[in-house]
Amino acid sequence: MTRRLSSPRGLAALALPAIVLVVLPVVAIVWRTPWSGFWASISSDASRTAVWLSLRTSLVTTALALVFGSPLAWLLAHSRFRGRSLLRALCILPMVLPPVVGGVALLFAFGRRGLVGGLLDDWFGIQLAFSETAAVMAQFFVAAPFFVVVMEAAFEQLDPRLVGTARTFGAGPWQALLRVTLPLVAPSLAAGLVLTWARALGEFGATITFAGNTAGRTQTIPLAVYSALESGGDSALALSMLMVGVSVIVLVALRGRWVGALRRSGA
Amino acid sequence: MSIAMTCMIRRGFFTLDVDLAVGDGSVLVVTGENGSGKTTTLDLVAGLVACGEGRIEIDGVAVDDSSMGRFVQPEHRNVATVFQGGGLFPHLSVADNVTFGRGRALRGGADYDRVVEEFDLGSLLSRRPGELSGGQRQRVSLARAFLSPSRVLLLDEPTTFLDTDSRDAVRELMSRNFATYPGVVVLVTHDDAEATMFATHTARVEVDAARTRARLQVRDDRVAG
Repeated sequence: MTRRLSSPRGLAALALPAIVLVVLPVVAIVWRTPWSGFWASISSDASRTAVWLSLRTSLVTTALALVFGSPLAWLLAHSRFRGRSLLRALCILPMVLPPVVGGVALLFAFGRRGLVGGLLDDWFGIQLAFSETAAVMAQFFVAAPFFVVVMEAAFEQLDPRLVGTARTFGAGPWQALLRVTLPLVAPSLAAGLVLTWARALGEFGATITFAGNTAGRTQTIPLAVYSALESGGDSALALSMLMVGVSVIVLVALRGRWVGALRRSGA
Repeated sequence: MSIAMTCMIRRGFFTLDVDLAVGDGSVLVVTGENGSGKTTTLDLVAGLVACGEGRIEIDGVAVDDSSMGRFVQPEHRNVATVFQGGGLFPHLSVADNVTFGRGRALRGGADYDRVVEEFDLGSLLSRRPGELSGGQRQRVSLARAFLSPSRVLLLDEPTTFLDTDSRDAVRELMSRNFATYPGVVVLVTHDDAEATMFATHTARVEVDAARTRARLQVRDDRVAG
């Protein structure tokens, strides 16, 4: 007889299919990756172009999320205005919306015959769709809500008394924001940025719909994987393996090693 | 130095009326049940919330006046606060907490040295608030408040969550510093002993039976409201 509190018998067996379905595919990628030709696949012209494009667009997206997403999160957390709940719901809708639908939505907003896109074309001759800018916009649409949600929670959990105390001891509103609020939400900020970047890096559906699949312009890593798979090239596996590696690193970071280190160093 | 306020503020279905006037060197001890508006009263004086209707004067200068549309921001009111739990910044060292808002210039000055010694902070200066006991945190919070060149000192239950020994130590520090503080002290507490210990004026927030209206009234005849 085991000397411990009993747990439901057979529960582990029921979990097995889930484990097989979730873990096995990733194991398969690692297993089948042609390691001898890995570097050659990754550094082929087509792959390199996709990797650089992905890095560029995902980092720009993350920066834009930081600059414009933080104020939005602050507004949602702190100001009381009519329609705030509706605005919040609309802002996090992309998190549950199928990315392809996001792409369609972007097309009908900023495409050449879209709500705003038509005017941009008529007045300034600017065409956003199917450009690198469109790839960034697609990534922003899909990934920025993650940052907003993380930051809104961080702002909301912050003790408002601390900001009040800072103000009574002579700090103006901006000084209180920079010296008290920001340092205290820094761990969430780091986590939000990593999460947003990872989501932007993996974006596929909205990008292919709104930005297309042009090598060197809008063909990011996920799109390159898709194209390579169709043409039967080796680089599909190698690029997939690369993304698995990046995702593992992100996961480790989010598990608190880096983010926690940031917090300890008082950043 | 004085506070004079006649102020009404609504919070949902609850209305708080504050009518108080206290002068030079006063220590006003405010008691009352939970949720009656004691903390809100401090927030009104500090400028963290505005009067719905009414006027607040500090040293005869209006800092909040609903009829004139005047509202002075907290950083310009010369108010020092000791909020519940100490209100210390968790990401800053004790030294940075104590000199917050007045910069490092203050450090090394005579006032700073005196306060560090009196509040026994010497061994704590490089620590973060998370590494301090409740009593130590409250000492840091008080030190910061007394070091700040303020006209009004607001304290919100500074001894409530302390064990008996640290409570006595903190009371001793308050007692000594209240005596020399030039401005007005407003102390919110649950403890009637503190009223007898410190108060030059006492007031209780009275809540009506329906719990929709609370009233705080103190009149010091020396101050014209």
